[in-house]
Amino acid sequence: MNLPNITLADFLPMLPAIIMVVAASVLLLSEVFLSATASRGYQAVLTVVAAAASGAVAVGLMFEPPQEVFLGFGVLDPFSSFLTLVVSVGLALAALSAVGFLRRRGAERGEFYALMLFASAGMSLLAMSSEFITIFVNIEVLSIATYALTAYLRRGTRPSEAGFKYFILGAFSSAVLLYGTALLYGATGTTKLNDMAGPLQQALATSPALVYVGAVLIAAGFAFKVAAVPFHMWTPDVYEGAPTPVTALMSAGVKAAAFASLVRVFVTVGKGMDPKLPLMLFATLALLTMVAGNLMAIPQRNVKRMLAYSSIAHAGYLLLGVAALFVAAPGEHFRLLSASSLSGGTPLDVARSDALRGILYYLLAYTFSATGAFAMVSALERREDEEKGTAWDLERFAGLAQRRPGWAFAMAAFMLSLGGIPPTVGFMSKLLIFQAAIDVGLVGLTVVAVLSSAAGAYYYLRVVVYMFMHPIPEGAQPLERNWGTEAALVIATVAVVLLGILPGHVTDWLAQAGTLFGQ
Amino acid sequence: MNIELVLFGVFAVMTLLSAGLVITARSPINSAMALVSTFFFLAGIYVLLWAHTVAVIQVLVYAGAIMVLFLFVIMLLNLGDAPHRGKPTVTRLLGGASAAGLLAVLAVTLGRMDAQPARLDAQGQATFGTLAAIGQSIFTTWLLPFEAVSLLLLVAMVGAVVVAKSRI
Repeated sequence: MNLPNITLADFLPMLPAIIMVVAASVLLLSEVFLSATASRGYQAVLTVVAAAASGAVAVGLMFEPPQEVFLGFGVLDPFSSFLTLVVSVGLALAALSAVGFLRRRGAERGEFYALMLFASAGMSLLAMSSEFITIFVNIEVLSIATYALTAYLRRGTRPSEAGFKYFILGAFSSAVLLYGTALLYGATGTTKLNDMAGPLQQALATSPALVYVGAVLIAAGFAFKVAAVPFHMWTPDVYEGAPTPVTALMSAGVKAAAFASLVRVFVTVGKGMDPKLPLMLFATLALLTMVAGNLMAIPQRNVKRMLAYSSIAHAGYLLLGVAALFVAAPGEHFRLLSASSLSGGTPLDVARSDALRGILYYLLAYTFSATGAFAMVSALERREDEEKGTAWDLERFAGLAQRRPGWAFAMAAFMLSLGGIPPTVGFMSKLLIFQAAIDVGLVGLTVVAVLSSAAGAYYYLRVVVYMFMHPIPEGAQPLERNWGTEAALVIATVAVVLLGILPGHVTDWLAQAGTLFGQ
Repeated sequence: MNIELVLFGVFAVMTLLSAGLVITARSPINSAMALVSTFFFLAGIYVLLWAHTVAVIQVLVYAGAIMVLFLFVIMLLNLGDAPHRGKPTVTRLLGGASAAGLLAVLAVTLGRMDAQPARLDAQGQATFGTLAAIGQSIFTTWLLPFEAVSLLLLVAMVGAVVVAKSRI
């Protein structure tokens, strides 16, 4: 019998995911021995420790040479290890902000943190999957865990509605993705990304339509997962209805993992294809997503919903970076989406690896800023107001600078970062992506991106104005402090400011992390 | 015209017809019954594809176990007939139009495909699709997705219990 050679070394890249799964199992099993009223403070601590351990292992793995593992079903490359680090950061911050949130509702249970850990393990595995079945299964691992987390608190109608909507649309998008995969398999006869180059050339010569339809369906499936317009309909309701720490995990981790897989799939599938097709596809998605996301966020007075629309807009900037990966030669013209070299100095392949670096830095920046902002939202909301829908109103932030100056400062840092205003990490990451997009020649699209992020500054700064310039509302309830939330705020604020002031070390490091296997 | 082609025609048409009935039937029980027949005819297509094991599992798991669950749920929820369809709205028309567009694109694409299917050689016919061959490839070559599926099952179980638990 011919047995393929799988050794223990193949499991090494899975170590971050294995740590998370083991921690989740410990949480699930320990819950059996606890009474309903027992103290559960250790659960968040264990989750954060597991996240830190996974992140540390991921940093170590980043310096391993890129290699195939499990016969090419997965790859270990700096790209996937960096994504695992981003996921670990998001997980740790979301778990910290969940401590106070769950305690106020009397809803602390091991299952909550266990599902968060399972979802993060799925994200980490998704980032390193390089075979379509594996990609699909890992997308389902992270999706099903987040569906359950969305419906975790079931008082009232909102969480049930959010959970149900997320589940139905998520299942639908997974089916679209799977169908595209099936068509691509029919055309090439393989599901492994690294074996696809040769068969893909043949398939493009004999039945190109099948490849293109498959690729478009796969792109649509991913567009659902990253909430790109016009596949974004579920986002505001789900982000608003889900428990706030879960929203933080969704906006950071799920998005990062889906983008990682999207980039990995299309960098491979796009090879040999007329590069105009992926360029047009992602440039159009980026354009719609940036403009629509920002425009829809402007009228929101509900901060949580505003952050949901803002996460759509941020997906748009990231898609701009993805589009920049597919510019084959400057001078291709599609009017607004035209690619004409402006700087002329930067070679195209350098600009493209800059784009990949920009995407990774952006994901890290967005993870810190968004999870921090959601941690703040979760600290201010009160359960009694949820049914009335005022739990997340801008009024909650009025006069925060006088009541809790530290909180207001942290939130201001997150808002500036999300708006892309220096000296924060959000500015640096936008700069990297926009610069790469200009270097490859996507000038028109970058101008739109800059204009729409200027429009975005309006609704981010409005929160700052409320915090610093509005009086404390009458009958304001006292604000409860919690060590978890405050730890999350401190970590996120320090990172947002430090990475904004001293990006040099990280971007140098990222130059290596932007290495995709086989590139 | 060989017997395989005739059988494929019968199975394909019947699969589509019963699948159509699943979404048009107004009584949930009729829908569920049409779904059973869809599963059965689909199993027939699997057999024609030389995938016997998948066909047997399809009948055992889907037409058997899953359908019983479906019927239990329908019984427990005591579902009546669905109300009459409302008037066509803009969203419905748009949805219908895009579905029809997708169908047209797929029909054209698949219609252009090479009509000569791949044939199995004698060696392949002896092993392909057998339980032994599937088992061997699942536990060796496909180890990574297999492990990921076991994680998926665990997550789904925990998730289902969490969602169904008493209210928090």
